[in-house]
Amino acid sequence: MEKILAKLEILAEAAKYDVSCSSSGVERNNNGKGIGSSSASGICHTWTADGRCVSLLKILMSNNCVYDCHYCCNRITNDFPRASFTPEEIATLTMEFYKRNYIEGLFLSSAIDKTPDHTMENLCRTLELLRNKYLFNGYIHVKAIPNADINLIRRAGFSADRLSLNIELPTQDSLKILAPQKNLKSLLLPISDLGNKIITNQNDRRIYKNAPKFIPAGQSTQMMVGASNDSDHVFLSASQRLYDQYNLKRVFYSAYIPVVDKPNLPSIATAPPLKREHRLYQADWLMRFYKFDAKELLSEKNQNLDLDFDPKISWAFNNMDQFPIEVNKVVYDRLLRIPGIGPVSAKRIIEQRRLSPVTYEGLKKMGVVLKRAKYFITCQGRYFGGIDLNPEIIKYKLGDMEESRQLSFWR
Amino acid sequence: MDYLYDGSFNGLLTCLYEHYYSQKADNIFEASCYQVSMVNENRIIYPDDVKAKKVSEAIERLISKTALRYIYYVSLSNDMNKGKIILDFVKFGFEEKKDITVFFEHPCVHPICKIYKQVSVEVHRFTGLLRFSDLEGVLFAKYMPDHNITEVIVRHFADRLKNERFIIFDEGRKLAALYHEGSTVIADFDDVTFVTDSTEDNIRKLWKSYFKHISIKERENLKAQYQHVPVRYRQNAVEFIK
Repeated sequence: MEKILAKLEILAEAAKYDVSCSSSGVERNNNGKGIGSSSASGICHTWTADGRCVSLLKILMSNNCVYDCHYCCNRITNDFPRASFTPEEIATLTMEFYKRNYIEGLFLSSAIDKTPDHTMENLCRTLELLRNKYLFNGYIHVKAIPNADINLIRRAGFSADRLSLNIELPTQDSLKILAPQKNLKSLLLPISDLGNKIITNQNDRRIYKNAPKFIPAGQSTQMMVGASNDSDHVFLSASQRLYDQYNLKRVFYSAYIPVVDKPNLPSIATAPPLKREHRLYQADWLMRFYKFDAKELLSEKNQNLDLDFDPKISWAFNNMDQFPIEVNKVVYDRLLRIPGIGPVSAKRIIEQRRLSPVTYEGLKKMGVVLKRAKYFITCQGRYFGGIDLNPEIIKYKLGDMEESRQLSFWR
Repeated sequence: MDYLYDGSFNGLLTCLYEHYYSQKADNIFEASCYQVSMVNENRIIYPDDVKAKKVSEAIERLISKTALRYIYYVSLSNDMNKGKIILDFVKFGFEEKKDITVFFEHPCVHPICKIYKQVSVEVHRFTGLLRFSDLEGVLFAKYMPDHNITEVIVRHFADRLKNERFIIFDEGRKLAALYHEGSTVIADFDDVTFVTDSTEDNIRKLWKSYFKHISIKERENLKAQYQHVPVRYRQNAVEFIK
């Protein structure tokens, strides 16, 4: 017990920089034999002192790494306590936690222990042990190990709900400096292979109902923000490509926390760029749910997101000629462009309009954030902003209302 | 006329039946929290499964399935005016004879949607925050929800923990759901004190330690943590117990 406790501490500590913890995307009832189910919306089980949700038991199988990525606390050249779990230990821990409803499932990752193939094989064995021996039917997210054999990665895909391979840095140049053993092309290769395999699997399952499911919750990845000199424009363009070409479900951004002093990295005293990370998540949200394209938000000329205002309102300031918008007239996609209106309230407005015109008072009930929206809309022909439609004046009015809100809301 | 019912969903539906087939109701209350008044008369309605079924089918047919779910969730809430809110909603729905849940802004619809949201948020929250202890093969969870959500919560766990035996105990209402081999019983229940064995203690210790170490010190944000897990939800969560 003491041994497990010591290992758990080391390997949880080592896994904490992986931000993904979502357990969403798969709706699955208990299969009648074992334990577990999965809920499409995902379930958060608790929140840690940093305000992040805990949904999955997130651990490394081993932090014994042969790679030397400069930004990573597990790299081979770091003098650091090392530990490894056996597949059996991880399976037991997962089962005991799951039974007590501490967690929604497992998020298993690993440092490169001996070789990529050896590591990936170990991950596969753990997953198969959980699924076949313990009849675990809960959520499993597994990390694909860079440079591991594609067949091993695919094998994991038949036990896991979600598979992710962290790109960490959006350009080959940054990778070369900070992660000399990785290169972008070989990182994207398995992502593209799995993307195709997911589509084939979906088609197969249309014909053969009982064909085994292949990572039904899709793929995700993560990029570090602030470790390299890449601009927000580079990050968002990379994400757009990952969503469009590779069909990724999610891209996560993680504010880089300096763990080591190296000449080509921010100094150890640098605070993690939490605000920048937050803005990237907001922009990412706009791309996934608000039908924005990365090109609309940033360009070669305008490389970084405004830290003082959220990307949607910044976009509005740059496109004032499109406002004010009459909420009773425009289509859904145009409603989505209004700051203070989201997919839920936009849908409600459309439905309400079938019955009677939407009133200004009604907007509030529908969940529209009027203190933001009022400057950008007319309602039954009337403008309620009370000031000129001038970005500078609106900016002043919105002032510090912006962002006293918590930073990590979208986890 | 005030209608009083026993607090069950069928009781409430029977009240709606009587409203249409005998005497009009001005308001509907749970009998246990009714304040007798000199002005209003009252009548006790006993749940009648046949009448209740007729009403629920009518709601599904004339309004929508969603509407029935909304009404069910609102009936579980601790809102004192829920009877009146449901009555108004159903009256409006039977007049319109269409899915009125989309008319979010309407005064007969908005309160229903609001309370539905509150109850369903709490249900979702406890599907995550409920903590079981393994007491020699029986999983036992204790919690104190604002709304009477045990019968909804238990359905989630009856599927997830299909082959386990478990008890979910609502401390505030002294009510427990007992599950074993596919069947659930909801019954009055007295608080129990129990001694945990060493395995249970060890697993808790592991969980607490995990909880501590997975947090990133440089990003500490206790305010966000309080927003997500308010203090009243912490008393039964292992990781928050000192």
